[in-house]
Amino acid sequence: MAAAVASAGRLLRLRAAQAERHWRRLRGAGLAQGFLQPASAGKDAVQTRHVTHFTFQPDPESQDHGQTQKMNLFQAITSALDNSLARDPTAVIFGEDVAFGGVFRCTVGLRDKYGKDRVFNTPLCEQGIVGFGIGIAVTGATAIAEIQFADYIFPAFDQIVNEAAKYRYRSGDLFNCGSLTIRAPWGCVGHGALYHSQCPEAFFAHCPGIKVVIPRSPFQAKGLLLSCIEDKNPCIFFEPKILYRAAVEQVPVEPYSIPLSQAEVLQEGSDITLVAWGTQVHVIREVASMAREKLGVSCEIIDLRTIIPWDVDTVCKSVIKTGRLLISHEAPLTGGFASEISSTVQEECFLNLEAPISRVCGYDTPFPHIFEPFYIPDKWKCYDALRKMINY
Amino acid sequence: MAIAACATRVLGQSRGLGQVALLLLRWPGVRGLARSNPHRQQQQTFSSLDDKPQFPGASAEFIDKLEFIQPNVISGIPIYRVMDRQGQIINPSEDPHLPQEEVLKFYRSMTLLNTMDRILYESQRQGRISFYMTNYGEEGTHVGSAAALDSTDLVFGQYREAAVGAAYAAKRANTNRVVICYFGEGAASEGDAHAGFNFAATLECPIIFFCRNNGYAISTPTYEQYRGDGIAARGPGYGIMSIRVDGNDVFAVYNATKEARRRAVAENQPFLIEAMTYRIGHHSTSDDSSAYRSVDEVNYWDKQDHPISRLRHYLVSRGWWDEEQEKAWRKQSRKKVMEAFEQAERKLKPNPYLLFSDVYQEMPARLRKQRESLAQHLQTYGEHYPLDHFDK
Repeated sequence: MAAAVASAGRLLRLRAAQAERHWRRLRGAGLAQGFLQPASAGKDAVQTRHVTHFTFQPDPESQDHGQTQKMNLFQAITSALDNSLARDPTAVIFGEDVAFGGVFRCTVGLRDKYGKDRVFNTPLCEQGIVGFGIGIAVTGATAIAEIQFADYIFPAFDQIVNEAAKYRYRSGDLFNCGSLTIRAPWGCVGHGALYHSQCPEAFFAHCPGIKVVIPRSPFQAKGLLLSCIEDKNPCIFFEPKILYRAAVEQVPVEPYSIPLSQAEVLQEGSDITLVAWGTQVHVIREVASMAREKLGVSCEIIDLRTIIPWDVDTVCKSVIKTGRLLISHEAPLTGGFASEISSTVQEECFLNLEAPISRVCGYDTPFPHIFEPFYIPDKWKCYDALRKMINY
Repeated sequence: MAIAACATRVLGQSRGLGQVALLLLRWPGVRGLARSNPHRQQQQTFSSLDDKPQFPGASAEFIDKLEFIQPNVISGIPIYRVMDRQGQIINPSEDPHLPQEEVLKFYRSMTLLNTMDRILYESQRQGRISFYMTNYGEEGTHVGSAAALDSTDLVFGQYREAAVGAAYAAKRANTNRVVICYFGEGAASEGDAHAGFNFAATLECPIIFFCRNNGYAISTPTYEQYRGDGIAARGPGYGIMSIRVDGNDVFAVYNATKEARRRAVAENQPFLIEAMTYRIGHHSTSDDSSAYRSVDEVNYWDKQDHPISRLRHYLVSRGWWDEEQEKAWRKQSRKKVMEAFEQAERKLKPNPYLLFSDVYQEMPARLRKQRESLAQHLQTYGEHYPLDHFDK
């Protein structure tokens, strides 16, 4: 039997080798020009996938929240969800594929730990997921809904905007769905193309009644997600998918919360204010270093964290000090959230401005596939805009 | 075949082919060879010699005749009724045998609603309220179903998906409550209904979907709303227990809802009740239905098959009601509605600054500023606003 298996194995390897020679012959014959051939830029030129446009910068370990553990972003999310289900018996998690652990592993282990009535799959229907979540929340139970990609949130747009956001208002506070939190992977990932890369925060910024929150790191994610879950208003929590594995930090094991609607000044500076959220925070951090080295410019870096209601005071206070503002986001320029920030800041800080407010954003196109490296507002584009502002 | 030959040399003549086929079946991508082998031994769980279908997606037998299922709309799902049009019980075993007081309560509720409708419709015509929708002809569906519920049950006037979420939470909380969700045959076309049905069935929720099929969605008749056998026929498609009832027969509505409620809570599954009825009135005060239907059609239902008339015949035949009581009650109910209306009319409208309340649980800074700006605006321009009608 073993011999048979071994022979079969040898036979198949023989087959594979034959196939390989077959292909090599094809290539040699010029029949497969441009087909399965490596990039022709030298003998060791293999076309690698484009490297990431940022370097994740972990924050120093927090001393204030007890014992910490090394976690990446998705593990920090799991930890937050675990804490939530442990201390709130009404809390349930649901969405497509969450039962086995989720396509990004954010819910691994939770169904086994808390039971199938608390962590469960739903049919493939985003409006159903959100509508169902609203109903759970209306009874007072905690509903944590997952939308598999932020790109798919649009079928649920009516439920979010017309139902969730207005539930408390239209009933004169008789009813509410404040215990609803919607989570969704968000942002560019290198190869996501049109429907796995979107940043839809601007669509929701225009909707009074909900909160929209975007973390830059595992530590921020756990604290902000727990705040969203505790918050008495329906919240959307976007998770930068490119950071799920790439971002690793020491994260407290116990629950803790980071306040919503508070921007964070990551680095103080005097010449220009840089504002971003999510992955883009790491891009502007690098831009700040470049500015210091090459131009001797001192940047103040702000992570907005909550998109709505947003922390107008922190941003304006900073611009009053520096006189210059650069806002950067992956989402397209026109109607992107930078326009709201820009508009408000020029209203509040007009006389303090030394230069027009700059927005470095994605182009007004759908998120492209093969052209992603040219589309995204990378550090070079941000650096160039910064340079122009300094020289204005 | 080369592989089979090698295997034969290795394993011996008689076993060669079979063993190789066995091995080949385990290696993905080599099924072609295995299929062509007539002497294959099967060790896998599914035997292709056994002819039952094994598809995970359906539990059904094979059929070797090409036949499309014909949707049955000529002879659709039958309509359950208890009383004939003269209010006589048809099958005594279906009589709910409700006590006199309760049936009188049904009657008074339906007629009070009818009285309120007339007065409020008129008041809109007089400009005293802005908009109204009457219930003419459908009083049986409201009262019959409501009477079958417990006072702690949850009622959703629309919002199908949220109703399902509430039912799920009620199930988890073990409170023996049912959720009932009302909607028309027009609303049943929305994606919401599809999502609601599917989630209710897959997540095993104690919910009653109550569809009022009144023949029109504003001006759209049922022939333009759907082509299948109404809404009841959709239920089985989702795996939902379904029934069609005579919505103008308050006892039929009561019986069906009562039984659905009992089983929905006991068995944690959804029920679909399609109550057939007719919208005697216009869609709303903004509608004149003579534009799309004949007065004769409306009169037929008003005169020949009205839920209030049928119940009155039942009451009269039992000696529980007469002409004198009818006259007295009409006067009393009219007086009741008029008094309530006039009292409400005298009240001032709420303070305009409540415009800003309950958007969120707590008022964000930005909204506070906007409320301030309205206050300042009214200080200067208040004379152009109807402030006299509003609370200070």
